[in-house]
Amino acid sequence: MKRYEVIIVGAGPSGLSAAIEAAKKGLKVVVFDENEKPGGQLFKQIHKFFGSKEHHAKIRGFKIGEELLQEADALGVEVILNATVVGLYSDKEVNVKIGDQIHHYKGDTVIIATGASENMVTFPGWTLPGVIGAGAAQTMMNLHGIQPGKKILMLGSGNVGLVVSFQLLQAGCEVVAIVDALPRVGGYGVHASKVARCGVPFYLSHTIKAVEGKDKVTGVVIHQIDERFMPIAGTEKHFDVDTVCMAVGLSPMSQLLKMAGCEMEDNPKRGGQVPIVNEYGETSVSGIYAAGDVSGIEEASSAMIEGKMAGVCVAEYLGYIEKEERDAELKIFEKDLDSLRQGMFAPKNRGKKIEKTDEGIDISTNLLEKGYVADDEIERFPGVTHKAGVHPVIECTQNIPCNPCQDACPKKCISTGDNITYLPFVKEDAECINCGMCVASCSGQAIFLVDEDCGDGTATVTLPYEFLPLPQEGDKGYGLSRKGEKVCEATVVSVKSVKAFDHTNLLTMRVPKEYAMKARFFKKAEV
Amino acid sequence: MNTVIDRSKDIGEFIPQPDDDMLICRCEEITKGEIRKAVHDGMWTLTEIRRYLRTGMGLCQGQTCSRLVKGIVARELGVSPAELEPATSRSPMRPVEMKVFGKEEA
Repeated sequence: MKRYEVIIVGAGPSGLSAAIEAAKKGLKVVVFDENEKPGGQLFKQIHKFFGSKEHHAKIRGFKIGEELLQEADALGVEVILNATVVGLYSDKEVNVKIGDQIHHYKGDTVIIATGASENMVTFPGWTLPGVIGAGAAQTMMNLHGIQPGKKILMLGSGNVGLVVSFQLLQAGCEVVAIVDALPRVGGYGVHASKVARCGVPFYLSHTIKAVEGKDKVTGVVIHQIDERFMPIAGTEKHFDVDTVCMAVGLSPMSQLLKMAGCEMEDNPKRGGQVPIVNEYGETSVSGIYAAGDVSGIEEASSAMIEGKMAGVCVAEYLGYIEKEERDAELKIFEKDLDSLRQGMFAPKNRGKKIEKTDEGIDISTNLLEKGYVADDEIERFPGVTHKAGVHPVIECTQNIPCNPCQDACPKKCISTGDNITYLPFVKEDAECINCGMCVASCSGQAIFLVDEDCGDGTATVTLPYEFLPLPQEGDKGYGLSRKGEKVCEATVVSVKSVKAFDHTNLLTMRVPKEYAMKARFFKKAEV
Repeated sequence: MNTVIDRSKDIGEFIPQPDDDMLICRCEEITKGEIRKAVHDGMWTLTEIRRYLRTGMGLCQGQTCSRLVKGIVARELGVSPAELEPATSRSPMRPVEMKVFGKEEA
């Protein structure tokens, strides 16, 4: 039996973060992961993260994964892959299946960072090949470069459903609809908007009636449901699809903790069966900690901070650092975590209907019901202003903890005020030099550079563009509205791709000037 | 949780439903109707259901269906799913072949 000071189960964002903190203090750390690659879900995340600098904001998920792995490696953390932990006991003995053998390890402390698994909903046909989880779709696209299907219906409008829908579009698939049983879009409005402006329709208060097909999916029927989730007759809609993707929530994979005798609770707010933990993740069994989604479904950014907390706690538990040092570090992590847990989508606001922003502005109801801000709603938000010449138009309309835009502008044009969740606004006296850094830095792809009147009856709109093949200067096509409908003719003026934009290309299109505030996406004319 | 179940509660007769033939536990091929019937046969805890029907004892070890089974049993008993104690977790957490499980490092 091998002995380690810390045994960590799960090499995802929280497990690796815990390993790094513990190894920094000098502890001997091993991390087991059942997968062939480390990083958990991070390597499937090709979008830029939200938050502030401390939360790795505007860095793409897989990059964060690479950084964590490098750091862990440099600190001498042992990461053992294809290693399935099959047993955990209260005396911190860990049984691991590696190859064709069971190995026994003993940890002075154990951190469980096993994450979560996807929920499923049932309907006739749900076991047909072609009905898949959103996680599977991401694995196929982003790890293996395979399209999960050609025509796809997404069930679930939370952030996972929205982000994966956008990635499906990027992979060249057609997303025929995003369907959700709830009456409002569950994820960030900016994620919904970037999918909506590509022309994907949202069906809220709808669910799947049945999936059709004999030995694989050939179609799907959805229907509307009432407030009590009962189907409304006569509202059926049929779509020809070959794939139905489910993004209907996650459940913590907490079985190891239960096996070890940790006190558990069924907490719907945390996503199901979770260990009862203190604010730093310590369970009822002394020396066993839980970090990340396993102790409550949140996101990778908070999972990383929870991992760091557990790492520092085990260092103090084993006497590597004093209580004072631990408390000083925990205080910083608590502050970071607290700032992520602010805003409309904070865990404390889950399920609440929020009607006004912190600034007292009415929320866009169209955004919640259809996935995009209506033309008559957009003007009331502070980031949407008008002036002569090129200037930023920030279509950020919900209080979420994110602020890379304010650091992006070299002229300090943009501010989110004192609070990370406030809506960004453009400072009146600041000068815009049309550099595009704000457009590329916005993780929600919600910033546009607009010149409303070029003097010849046209306007230019610069938008973030993350699709291939890239349009070329001079290409003709259409300006699409926020809803994704063709509203005007458009010509590509330029496509800028520089390293600082980190793969977000800036496409500038010329449109008739009356569409300066309406056209928000470009679609090339089919030849 | 862990409250003693009142076995004298009347949950009524088993009433067939149109989707009773829908598969819930894919690994062990157990339908919604079989799970509902099991409740009426007196299997009121998830552990009992598991032993009676083998739900969640296949390849995925309940990763997909345990939440679904819990929901069906809770609805049949007229309680909230959170009130039902989940089935026991024990090693091996993932399916392991006996020849591997029995082969311990020296």
